[in-house]
Amino acid sequence: MMEPDNDSFALFLLCSHLGLPDESEVKPLSAREWNQLEEKLRANAVSAASLVGSSAEKVDSILQTGPDQAARLTWLLDRGEKLKQELERLDELGIWVITRFDEDYPPRFTERLKGAAPVMLYGAGDARLLNRRGLAVVGSRNVDQRGFALTEFIGNACAVSKLTVYSGGARGVDKTAMGAALSGGGYAVGVLADSLEKGIRAADARRYIEEGHLLLATSFSPHTSFNVGMAMARNKLIYALSDFALVIASDAEKGGTWAGAEEVLKAGWVPLFVVEGANLPEGNRLLIKRGGIPFPDSFDDSPTSLGDWLEEHTPIKEPVAVQGSLF
Amino acid sequence: MTSTSLVGAAEQLLKRMLGRDAQFREGQWQAIDAIVTRRGRVLVVQRTGWGKSLVYFLSTKLLREQGAGPTILVSPLLSLMRNQIEAASRIGIRAFTINSSNRAEWDLAEAALAKDSCDILLISPERLGNDRFMRSVLPGVSGRAGLFVVDEVHCISDWGHDFRPDYRRIIGVMDRLPAGMPVLGTTATANDRVVADVQQQLGPELVVLRGPLTRHSLRLQNIVLSSQAERLAWLAANIPKFKGSGVIYCLTVADVERVTNWLKSRGIDAEAYHAGDDAKVDREALERALLANELKALVATVALGMGFDKPDLSFVVHFQRPGSVVAYYQQVGRAGRAVEKAYGILLSGREDDDIQDYFIESAFPPPEAMTSLLNAVAAGDGLSLNELLPRVNVSRSMADRALKLLEIDGAIEIKFDKKIRYFRTATQWQPDVDRTNRITALRRAELAQMQKYVAHRECLMEFLARALDDPDAKACGVCANCQGKGFQAETSPELVAEASEFLGRVDIVLEPKKRWPLDMTLSPTSVIPADERNAAGRALCYYGDAGWGKLVREGKYEHNKFDDHLVDASAKLIRERWQPEPFPEWITAIPSRRHPALVYDFASRLAGVLGVPFVAALVRTSDAPEQKLMANSSMQARNVAGTLATQDQIPGGPVLLIDDIVDSGWTLTLAGWLLRKNGSGLVYPFTLARATARKT
Repeated sequence: MMEPDNDSFALFLLCSHLGLPDESEVKPLSAREWNQLEEKLRANAVSAASLVGSSAEKVDSILQTGPDQAARLTWLLDRGEKLKQELERLDELGIWVITRFDEDYPPRFTERLKGAAPVMLYGAGDARLLNRRGLAVVGSRNVDQRGFALTEFIGNACAVSKLTVYSGGARGVDKTAMGAALSGGGYAVGVLADSLEKGIRAADARRYIEEGHLLLATSFSPHTSFNVGMAMARNKLIYALSDFALVIASDAEKGGTWAGAEEVLKAGWVPLFVVEGANLPEGNRLLIKRGGIPFPDSFDDSPTSLGDWLEEHTPIKEPVAVQGSLF
Repeated sequence: MTSTSLVGAAEQLLKRMLGRDAQFREGQWQAIDAIVTRRGRVLVVQRTGWGKSLVYFLSTKLLREQGAGPTILVSPLLSLMRNQIEAASRIGIRAFTINSSNRAEWDLAEAALAKDSCDILLISPERLGNDRFMRSVLPGVSGRAGLFVVDEVHCISDWGHDFRPDYRRIIGVMDRLPAGMPVLGTTATANDRVVADVQQQLGPELVVLRGPLTRHSLRLQNIVLSSQAERLAWLAANIPKFKGSGVIYCLTVADVERVTNWLKSRGIDAEAYHAGDDAKVDREALERALLANELKALVATVALGMGFDKPDLSFVVHFQRPGSVVAYYQQVGRAGRAVEKAYGILLSGREDDDIQDYFIESAFPPPEAMTSLLNAVAAGDGLSLNELLPRVNVSRSMADRALKLLEIDGAIEIKFDKKIRYFRTATQWQPDVDRTNRITALRRAELAQMQKYVAHRECLMEFLARALDDPDAKACGVCANCQGKGFQAETSPELVAEASEFLGRVDIVLEPKKRWPLDMTLSPTSVIPADERNAAGRALCYYGDAGWGKLVREGKYEHNKFDDHLVDASAKLIRERWQPEPFPEWITAIPSRRHPALVYDFASRLAGVLGVPFVAALVRTSDAPEQKLMANSSMQARNVAGTLATQDQIPGGPVLLIDDIVDSGWTLTLAGWLLRKNGSGLVYPFTLARATARKT
């Protein structure tokens, strides 16, 4: 058969929106639905790949999904030929896809995000960049002159102190931080809340991708354009990939930066640093009050020591007990 | 039930299906009888519109009444069977369809099969390559199927003109069918050789039932007009004379576009139909418009193919000669199905053989292409299609086909790891050179037969029927040869002059390439920076066309000098129609070692007429194989990279860059890049001709 036969591809068939119309009657599985299915597969000692080619009745009889869900699963699994063509089109653009079954899939996603970890990730660039030590840099699109200057400094400092910048690739703080890291010879990963296909069209982005310094990724279909829901979901991914996070500027009690930072404080995925200084937005002050670690807006140490500095200022925490895997 | 009482029952069903006055056509009952009474394997060769679907629907009904299992029907034309299925439902036949576009209905079909409430299961051939279908649907039904039908069965034959790889899988399906189960193959176009091949594949006991292929309403005529201008003039003069609407077939997309534009410019309601750009060509809307007679003519490539059915189509004109009698019969046979008088006019001209040669050479992936792909897959350890292309000199579409064939042969397998990757299996694979040679030889023989048809002086319908091994072939009495009269070949000289003028006016824009091919990047990024890119250019004509195209060919291959008319026409195009701004301040040309003087001489003369200096700014550093031998863009660009360089000093202003024929465009892209890098201004490419489109 002219289709690949492995679990990763089966997962891709089940969960990808590729090739489906926006108002498709049959929806691909959400991360949560996949988790439930995975539980069932595990309980029955069945691999995802072995479902490809089974009838709805058989799927129902093995997994007890009910006839409707079984029909949906078989429908999704049956689009290999079409998705193969879609993948070849994406490959031509330089876009690949990894799933939870793949080696390059960041283990931090599953460790930190648990069931909310994306089931797959589309990307362009060297996938190994997903697993480097790095700093998540976040902030709103609109910051003042000093905010930008600091962001640029942070990007450069990341480059010279061998930290990858994890950011969102949006205008404003995101692009400034990533651009500064890249122009300093460093590495950057942009987790986009906008079309990946569009993102890799920019000439400078392509250059850095080809040089192996930039990775652009998204957990949404590569052609999907920006929406707020996507932005909220991807903020989690930025934090989850990183070792430290730094908030340049945040509104108070509103906006994506605030919501994301608050979530980090609550979940404790990474130490959250917040820029502190005169004339900074109310959000920064509030985040520090709620447990954010102050980061001086005039960083006086050598830029090469940024990594060490962050390490030293990370409060020592009692290790959180991690629930062991079933196997 | 005896055969006599069975025929009574069948006639009852027929009347219920098609109305009280319905009668069996010649041969229909014989086929049903052979299937239902004798449970035989039957091949029915009948012209389109004869009623093949009636045979399998009635057979299904009769077999089901005798307690047999459901019928399985494989057909490439399922989307077009809605009317027949509806008619069949009048005799209580419950049909279910499984194809790639109706997955939602699959489970209905499966459930119906499970309850034995499906009488006939219609499946498209590519479903046979589908895992789910083969693993779960088919085993549930194949063991108890009552009848197996293969529609358009000639597709199973290598000898057929439209062999489809998916049809190879039918043999595998047949192996799983119960022994002694009746089988029906149907086709409108099968000569003895195809029949023999089908027989070999479907079993020696196959009974062949042939009907006459002659269509009495169709008036055939052949007209040889070697230049395109004469043929365009003929169309303009004669298309309005036909009653109703029709189809004009061309061999290439470029010809379709050109003929359409010409007819439109003459006030004739024509539209272009081809398999090109989906955004530009709404094929369904065009078919609907033609069906509703809202168009005078649809100008089409073979993309308007099997299954388009307009019973009142009143003419089919061929602007160029098809490659085989089988293909021609299929196309011309669309006319006159349900009208008293229809016309099938075959115009043919000088370029036909060249185009057919190209089709023949590129039809099957040649053994070297298959072998080099297989080697690249084996050496690569999991390369994607896009990574394979720079390693093989094979076009993308051919690589696609070759990989599919290799996969069907079990020589490669595909895996998913970040992308789709191809791996070599342990299965031995040798190119079947005999088979490829056999098919190429066949195509050549078919072409020769078509050339004979054009020159044939006696009954044309009889020629076609004989060529298709119709045992009842006889003179039709209505073709131009039988009647001794037909449409005039000549048109007025004024009209021919206007058509020539039209052909000469067709300036072709050469769009600059914006990206280097994969792994061939000369700039820091794969995007060619805007200031190193060519400006849009122009070509004077398509190579080999009537008008200027003919002069270009003669200049290049016969006189080794381009005619003064080409210099004047080029200057006129550049100064009057193109008017590039800023205007070029100097002219240079692509140097060639093979024909050193040819292009330089032309460029210097053009420089003289335009009043700007000619500078030989580019030099060849080594000889490259001819660009047209390079099959995909990576290979094409690599072929020119490292073969060109600039002189030390080159002028700074905007420059006109001349070549004789542009094929891939990489030579011009690379030369322009070199010129820009070394200090020239804007580079405007200009070529005498553009090689004709590579695909239909």
